[in-house]
Amino acid sequence: MEFLGNTWNAFAAIFTVTPGWMTFGGWVAAGLTICLFSFLYKDNPFFKVAEHLYLGAGMGWLFQVYLFQTWKPKVFLPLMEGQYSVLIPALLGLSLVTQFFPRISWVSRYGFTFIMGYGSGLVIPLTISTDFLKQIGGTIAPFMVSEINSGNIISLLNGTFVAFGFICVLFYFFFSVEHKGAVKKASNIGIYFLMLYFGAAFGNTVMGRFSLLYGRFDDLYKYSAPEYFYATHVVLGLLVAYFILDKLVLSRRGGGQEAH
Amino acid sequence: MKRPPIIPLILPFLFLTSPSSAAKPSPLPPLTGFTAADMPGDAGGAALLRWDSPGEAAEGATIEVYASDTAKPGWVKIAEFPASAHPEKDMDLPFWAWRPAPGRHALAADTSSAFGRPDEAQEIEFKLRLVKGAASVETGPARAVIGGNWFNVSRFNNLVLMLTIIIVFFWTVSHAKRKGLFIRRIAGLDAIDEAIGRATEMGRPIFYSTGIGPMSLVPTIASTSILGEVARKVAQYDTSLKVPHFDPIVMTVCKEVVKQSYLEMERPDSYRDDINFFVSQDQFSFAASVDAMIHREKPAACFFIGHFMAESLLLAEVGATTGAIQIAGTEQESQLPFFFTSCDYTLIGEELYAAGAYLSKDPMLMSTLKVQDFGKAFVMLAVVTGSVLLAAGAVFGWEPLMKIVGQLFKAY
Repeated sequence: MEFLGNTWNAFAAIFTVTPGWMTFGGWVAAGLTICLFSFLYKDNPFFKVAEHLYLGAGMGWLFQVYLFQTWKPKVFLPLMEGQYSVLIPALLGLSLVTQFFPRISWVSRYGFTFIMGYGSGLVIPLTISTDFLKQIGGTIAPFMVSEINSGNIISLLNGTFVAFGFICVLFYFFFSVEHKGAVKKASNIGIYFLMLYFGAAFGNTVMGRFSLLYGRFDDLYKYSAPEYFYATHVVLGLLVAYFILDKLVLSRRGGGQEAH
Repeated sequence: MKRPPIIPLILPFLFLTSPSSAAKPSPLPPLTGFTAADMPGDAGGAALLRWDSPGEAAEGATIEVYASDTAKPGWVKIAEFPASAHPEKDMDLPFWAWRPAPGRHALAADTSSAFGRPDEAQEIEFKLRLVKGAASVETGPARAVIGGNWFNVSRFNNLVLMLTIIIVFFWTVSHAKRKGLFIRRIAGLDAIDEAIGRATEMGRPIFYSTGIGPMSLVPTIASTSILGEVARKVAQYDTSLKVPHFDPIVMTVCKEVVKQSYLEMERPDSYRDDINFFVSQDQFSFAASVDAMIHREKPAACFFIGHFMAESLLLAEVGATTGAIQIAGTEQESQLPFFFTSCDYTLIGEELYAAGAYLSKDPMLMSTLKVQDFGKAFVMLAVVTGSVLLAAGAVFGWEPLMKIVGQLFKAY
């Protein structure tokens, strides 16, 4: 037992964060980032390595999350405390695994039926609350003023404009009515309102994506420092060299084929 | 003449005029009518405290609320507010669930931050302390057994609306079966045939992604319904279909859906179990992997229909670079602009829900579209009526009318 403990401690000591490991981490981060970005040029073996590593690491991470944040606190620990009622959802969940065994795969339908029923039951009242009541309440809210005066007239006009746009957008989503005449006009105005919104949403999301990109660039800049032995520069240089070499070999092969 | 002893004469006077608090009445009025009860219609962790208004005498004073779990006694201050705050008429409950009494105050006191929210009911004692400067008065303790409730009466408007929708649904189902229903053209859905035909002619696969939503999301359910229709056509033309998945449960449901479609088209021999396959449950590794597959296999058509988040542009952009015809649809309005820019056809929100009915022409599904339209008509009518009534209430000073309209359309 003592031997096992010592072995484990020795193993864990290898992964203690040291400056050496930090540098190694910098190389891995810069390398994987550049390998993934290389897809912007074209598909290549480095991207494939990074892609599969990312996929595997993602699944490994999620497995431990499910194990320690779902299975342990919600199934294992309650069972240890004698709460056997958790067996019902646990068995329903396990029934899904029977999909792997064709003879008893029908058992999984109990689990799926429960999931579908539970999902619908949860979503329907929520949809009524959010799609109907909150939508109506939010649209008429600007009109809930104690009096109409010069101070709130702009807000009321704004509320009227929003309500008008909202109604026009709804006309666009009428499916059982043919879009012609007044309905078509209202629906066309609705499309303009939709496009205005989508334009704003597009700009907002693009700004968010750029901030993510800056984050990666910031990291690449950090790993290009001397304490990381110029990881970014080296990896980038190696990748560029690979692409030049690849291009040269390909063009030579292509030339050879033409000669034939 | 002997002088009378002065000290015995002064002593009683001094005693009567001493600043002893026991003898002097408190400058604060007592808090009366204090009661505690379980907060109705909640998930537990809150109590309804009510007391009489302390009146103008308590102006500038504050009320401190103390609670003690009877299982582990010990007073904990859980709230503090001005004495004039929380009149019963300001309680955030609708008129059908709450009758405010004049001259009374009420507070929905949150106990979950102090004592948690256990599954079982908790017995908790409460007391109020009225404080102004150094002076204070306290109520006697009041006990309440608090816990979760089965019904939330505040959401009665929700129930009425749902029952109305159910009634309208059954009426439209019978109407659709008898007379049929009209559905306007949806370009994105008409293009499905074109996309599958193109894939068949080119001999390339079709990629179909249901997104990253779980099975409980409506767009995912709608997407499985569209997948069924796509699979029927794919089976008919004997084209190759690939459905990468983010969620294993969605994958299993989709397997059944696709298998059923192949059976209905009498092509069980063409069905393969690996049409649906699991990729990853990590958002961006899923996107990276599907991107790589699309890039390498160069599909003729890509369908991105369901719940998509940040991976929407990553997927659609790569699909566009391969020259595939792309049809997308999501309810996520923040992702729709990305689909607009990189896909040939985009289903916007509700169109996605209409797709199942549009493609199958099944009377049951068609009637759901009609119900949706009735819902939209109701919302439009409610917005117009509500706005007019509220504006009229503001002009003529009809406060009760405004309150009723506001509460009728509030999601509690």
